Amino acid sequence: MRQIFTSCLLLLSYLSFGQNVIKGTVTDATERAPLVGVTVAIEGTNTGAVTNIDGEYTIEASDEQTLVFSFIGFKTVSKEVGNQRIINVAMQEDVQQLGEVVVTALGIEKETKALGYAVQEVDGESLEKAKEPNFVNSLSGRVAGLQIKNSTDLFQNPEINLRGSTPLLVIDGIPDRTLDIWKVNSDDIESISVLKGATASALYGSVGRNGAIMITTKKAKEGKLNVSINNSTMFQPSFIRVPEVQTSYGNGNFGVYAYTNGSGSGTEGGGWIWGPKLDQRDPSTPSGFVETTQYNSPVDPATGELIPIPFVSRGKDNIQNFFQNGLIQSNNVSVGWGNDVASIRTSISNMYQKGIVPNTDLENVSFNMGASIKPSDRLTINSTITYNKQFTDNFPEVGYGPTNYLYNLILWTGTDVDVRDLRDYWREGQEGFQQKHFNISYYNNPYFQAYEYKRSYNKNNVYGNAAFEFKLTDELTAKGRTGVNTYGLHRTYKEPKSYIGYGSKSLGNYSLSQTNYFDINSELGLKYEKSFTPDFALRGEAAYVNYFRNTTSSSLATDGLNIPGFYNISNNAGATLFGDNREEQEAINSFYAFLDVEIYNSFYVSLTGRTDKVSTLPVENNSFFYPSASGSVVVSNLVDLPNWMSFLKARGSWSRVSEGKIGNDPYNHILAYEKGVSWNGVPSAYFGNSLLSSDLKPETTDTWEVGLDLRFLKNRLNFDVAYYEALDYNNLIYSPISETTGYESILLNGDQYKRKGIEVMFSATPVSTPDFEWNAMINLSQYRRYQEDIYGDREQTDDLIKEGERTDRIYADVYQTNADGDVIFENGMPVSDPYRRYIGYDEPDLTYGITNNVRYKNFQLSFLFDGRIGGLMFSQTNQKMWWGGTSPGTVNQYREDAVNGESTYIGDGVVVTGGEVTYDVNGNILEDTRTFAPNETPVNYIGFMQTTSNYHNKNYHYYKETFIKLREVTLTYNFSESLLKRLPFNGLSVAFVGRNLWLASKIPNVDPDSGTDALQAPSTRNIGFNINAKF
Amino acid sequence: MNRIVITLFAVILMTSCTRVEDLNTDPNRATSVTPDLILTNLQTEAFSNVSLSAALASRYLTFTDGVNQYQYYSWQRSDFSDYDNLKQAQKMIEEAAKNENEVYQILGDFFKAYFTVELTQTFGDIPFEEALQADAGNLTPSYDDQEDVYLAVLDMLKDTSLALAANDEPINGDVVFYGDRLKWQKLINSYSLRVLIGLSNQEGSSSINIRERFNEIVNNPAQFPVMESNADNAALEYANIQDNRYPLFNNNSLQTAYYMEKSFVERLQNLEDPRLFVMADKKPNAENAADGDFSAYGGLYGSAELSVNSAEAVSGEASRINPRFYSNPINEPSVLMSYAELQFILAEAAARNWVTIDANEAYEAGISASMEFYGITELGGYLDNDAIALTADNAIERILTQKHIAMFLNTGWQIFYEQRRTGFPEFNTDGGGVLNGGRIPKRWMYPESERVNNAENLEQAINRQFSNGDTVNGEMWLLK
Repeated sequence: MRQIFTSCLLLLSYLSFGQNVIKGTVTDATERAPLVGVTVAIEGTNTGAVTNIDGEYTIEASDEQTLVFSFIGFKTVSKEVGNQRIINVAMQEDVQQLGEVVVTALGIEKETKALGYAVQEVDGESLEKAKEPNFVNSLSGRVAGLQIKNSTDLFQNPEINLRGSTPLLVIDGIPDRTLDIWKVNSDDIESISVLKGATASALYGSVGRNGAIMITTKKAKEGKLNVSINNSTMFQPSFIRVPEVQTSYGNGNFGVYAYTNGSGSGTEGGGWIWGPKLDQRDPSTPSGFVETTQYNSPVDPATGELIPIPFVSRGKDNIQNFFQNGLIQSNNVSVGWGNDVASIRTSISNMYQKGIVPNTDLENVSFNMGASIKPSDRLTINSTITYNKQFTDNFPEVGYGPTNYLYNLILWTGTDVDVRDLRDYWREGQEGFQQKHFNISYYNNPYFQAYEYKRSYNKNNVYGNAAFEFKLTDELTAKGRTGVNTYGLHRTYKEPKSYIGYGSKSLGNYSLSQTNYFDINSELGLKYEKSFTPDFALRGEAAYVNYFRNTTSSSLATDGLNIPGFYNISNNAGATLFGDNREEQEAINSFYAFLDVEIYNSFYVSLTGRTDKVSTLPVENNSFFYPSASGSVVVSNLVDLPNWMSFLKARGSWSRVSEGKIGNDPYNHILAYEKGVSWNGVPSAYFGNSLLSSDLKPETTDTWEVGLDLRFLKNRLNFDVAYYEALDYNNLIYSPISETTGYESILLNGDQYKRKGIEVMFSATPVSTPDFEWNAMINLSQYRRYQEDIYGDREQTDDLIKEGERTDRIYADVYQTNADGDVIFENGMPVSDPYRRYIGYDEPDLTYGITNNVRYKNFQLSFLFDGRIGGLMFSQTNQKMWWGGTSPGTVNQYREDAVNGESTYIGDGVVVTGGEVTYDVNGNILEDTRTFAPNETPVNYIGFMQTTSNYHNKNYHYYKETFIKLREVTLTYNFSESLLKRLPFNGLSVAFVGRNLWLASKIPNVDPDSGTDALQAPSTRNIGFNINAKF
Repeated sequence: MNRIVITLFAVILMTSCTRVEDLNTDPNRATSVTPDLILTNLQTEAFSNVSLSAALASRYLTFTDGVNQYQYYSWQRSDFSDYDNLKQAQKMIEEAAKNENEVYQILGDFFKAYFTVELTQTFGDIPFEEALQADAGNLTPSYDDQEDVYLAVLDMLKDTSLALAANDEPINGDVVFYGDRLKWQKLINSYSLRVLIGLSNQEGSSSINIRERFNEIVNNPAQFPVMESNADNAALEYANIQDNRYPLFNNNSLQTAYYMEKSFVERLQNLEDPRLFVMADKKPNAENAADGDFSAYGGLYGSAELSVNSAEAVSGEASRINPRFYSNPINEPSVLMSYAELQFILAEAAARNWVTIDANEAYEAGISASMEFYGITELGGYLDNDAIALTADNAIERILTQKHIAMFLNTGWQIFYEQRRTGFPEFNTDGGGVLNGGRIPKRWMYPESERVNNAENLEQAINRQFSNGDTVNGEMWLLK
């Protein structure tokens, strides 16, 4: 601190010495017009000025100082002051800067103006500070058209949708078909390029059909030794969303509760939380509260009976008392060195995540090495290799059910149970055999679950590639590249005795599984590159590619355990072990070529073609060809545009991509028998539910796309829009057929879908001064998919979609309504409609992200909002809360009446008083003579909710997905160069970071981010800091 | 330099040679199997007949976790999954034909008949002649009249029986009769009698010659042997092995949400039927009562309002099912058809004067067989009870009542169909909670998938059978 102070003083005294007033005008070198808003800074200081509307500036500087003139889109100019008092500057447009380079398919760097399709790049730096356990979560809201649906659960993949489909992951040019987003440490990422359409990734062939997320890892730079250390620590101290449950009524059914043995009938109920009111005074009991027998009641030594204890809401803080603060800590050290002959970078990363559930965590360790050698001017050899280990002894199981922590903690546990009393989780005298819990038929003690039901995951990834380029002549280069992805995955599942699964109680079990994966991708080709004249350049490549994959997996499981808690296959209690194994092999041989033409620096055309021969289709149709074409015109180079318009580019593309793979199983094109259940040792077999068409062909997508890239006011304002349409045809579908044929479907080429979408990016730099700069970016996108054609004579698909309709229409099981929309009741209960009815759309209308970066002197503040508007999601959490009695909405007079045995609830709707209704097969009304009267039958509120879950009042628990989230805030302090001179660093920054900080949504109790809700874990707020040092 | 480049080229070339044609066989599945493997699977499907839904609809049990559609008669659709079983039977026939093996083709026909009857009993008209012809390109089979379906099935059963009698090939993969051909014959013939008695409402009016077919079997035991004791029961034994255990083993709902049905419990109490003790548990309020005390049992009224039943359950007045159903992994076998059922069929046929055997003798044999099934060998004076003995007026009712008791949580939906046909025993609907306008549904609506994939044929079938469209209250041919 004192050092900083001293240096500030020094700096001040230095600045105030010998100051002169310097004036001047800044102009555009080509157009000779004055430039407004040019930053004029004194090198090595925070002092600066900005040019006015006439391009003029005034600044005080001493003779030995240097003025730095900078402006977006222009080359920076430095002028030593010397004895000059007027310094005029003519700035050159920076072609390099305008022609930003992005990484495209196969790692080819191209200028953005040459692109005929949409590519958006995310700088690795933006992922460095606010750490997520995987890099994909960090992409949320940053790329138009890329929708990331983040999971709240530990070690769960987010759902990744690029233009509605899952994209390919490419690491340093090698496709990773396993889409393991955990194996790349974000500290090793130089940049991420998102290739949005099929055209952009056409060169990857079939696997690139849905676009690609391309990762370029960091490489050493030429120059001196670089050492970089990055530490990031994030805490998860609180929740932004967690289910809120009522605390007025406790466990029980119809207002009654008395524990007998945890699996009894009647008074204990089936695990409902429709019990008596809590915290009721009763002067006749020793405690002064109403008392009843409970699971932790003392036993009367004389009678052996349980002694009643007060029925009070002691478990109000079960959430806080059970979950612990989560932690995500990541460390990375990298060392790089290089000269003109060789360079090498190596890094070690460690990511540790402590889950919010006790005894859960995740370790992720990577060693990465990248090297490049240039033995001669003609030969370059590059190679990278990464070892990555993902390891956990225990991580939570997800999904609705007794394996879910929230299920056992609040959704199905009344607040009369205090989770702290459950910490010793064995029932006394039955250690190893019976867990202690208030209900041992349906629920697991959360501590028992955390410490005894353990799921381990141990994955070892090794992946890397070696590539060379050899210049045969100045124009012709030979290229080769081989990349390998391998992993071994070992998993174990330990299930203690008395563990509750859905509908059953475990006899104790142990199972293990092992998967070994290997794939190799090899390429050999020739590249031709020539600029014939400054106005005409050609580039082309042709290559042969081979892909081969081999996966073997096996698993083994016990049938009950003999010795409790001894997890070994040899401890099997049953007559036999259960085992399974699989082998898969798959290959694709391909040939591809492309040609890029560049004319007058303004017209760009790119053509590609690829032939694949696959092992995953019948031999007769296993070879197919597909082309693509794209082009762009830089209009601003050809036409005189108004001064305020700096750049205008139009682009367009068309592509056809075919794919010859049916699902994930490479043998789906073969009809065969399946193994059935063995009966008392006698094996069995059965035939599957699907037939095969005799002439399966690859499925194909034709995509066209147009886009505009507009930049105004010397690039201070940028606008990019893309519109695309894709037609999916010859789709390999399991086309449903009448089950009376003996089959449910035929695998064939059929159905057509049309996908459409629009993506808009808007970025601006409203303020740009030496001290203060503000950049903002907005990403917007919308995606739609339509049923263009239905195979065969059917009028609708099995999802009841008709031709021309959106495929995300949701048909739900609903209650019958009359023409006025009133729900029809019988005996006080709503009547189910045997026909599913349309209730809304699944897809959001808009996905958006808003990023702001504000820099003031050495401080940098960035924040990101993102979210979605529209679309429906089904919420299991909300439905079960109404069903089970934990929803705060159930606390009302009707409930109180029901607890007292009175039936007072009258559902809002009508009853049929006479007449008949007839329907056609589709549920359309043919004739309706029914007459109606208001429903007047009172029913018991508890019985009503247990039957209906309040479905009809809550839109059948389909909720609007609309939300906005403060995804990220980072506040960084970059130590200035003058300070760093006194420190042993080349760069040093400290940042306070927060992610997932605030949420507003239409849906209660759950975070709609993940897009689905099967009782997700609470959504945590992540807050922490980051230190980045470079030596 | 060139040496390096050539080496690099060579290495990459070596790693990039795989013939895609070499990878066109699936190492994980077999494209052809022996028919005995399919037989095992078919048996485990056809003989899995423990259904809680049927137990609710047939007034054996009640459910308190919400208004149950089976208990309150508000169900709507069923499914066509039995067509998958029909296809497995077809596949067994095909694989057997490949090996020129006859016996599996014969058994395949029996299973075809069995699943066809299951389907037509559920819906009414169903595709039969044109069904299972996807290989020949017929993806939208037309529906056959129920009468024609029954005619075809009965012919098939007869042919099967005769063919099996003439065959001497071994039957492997048989987890029910372990290759005992005679038992198969007995099942097929006994089952034919079940199908025939199921058509009692159409006796005399039908082209099927129900009575003649029935007599043909009953009067020719040498040619058409039928079951002769419980040892001939067509039943699948469970084993204490994963996936082979009694399906309700360790079931939690059975312990907390299912209770005995009141009218059923009271019937057993009135008859002082000892089978109550092996079916039910004592009610919580009488936990400590002596064994064999009929008053220690209670139930919930099937048609009563949910809240009424729940309150009664909470008060400890309702019995749960006997714990063996959820705590014994083997419990009791799942029955496709029992010797007891056969005797009740014969008794009913005699009471209807179809055959000349003694109704009472068959009736008592049926009761004894059922008692034996439950391990009760000492009947005491049970058969002498006036409430049990047959008279001319109440014969059908009492036979069906005993049949109902004998089929507790077994034999699938069969007892529901018997009650639907005869009206006995009465299933209560007067408790105030029943939906569907207080009616017991007579059938199920066709599955929704059929409306999408075979709409035209479905519509024709509905229109010719039911004037009110596809509803659960429509009356199919066999009930008319």
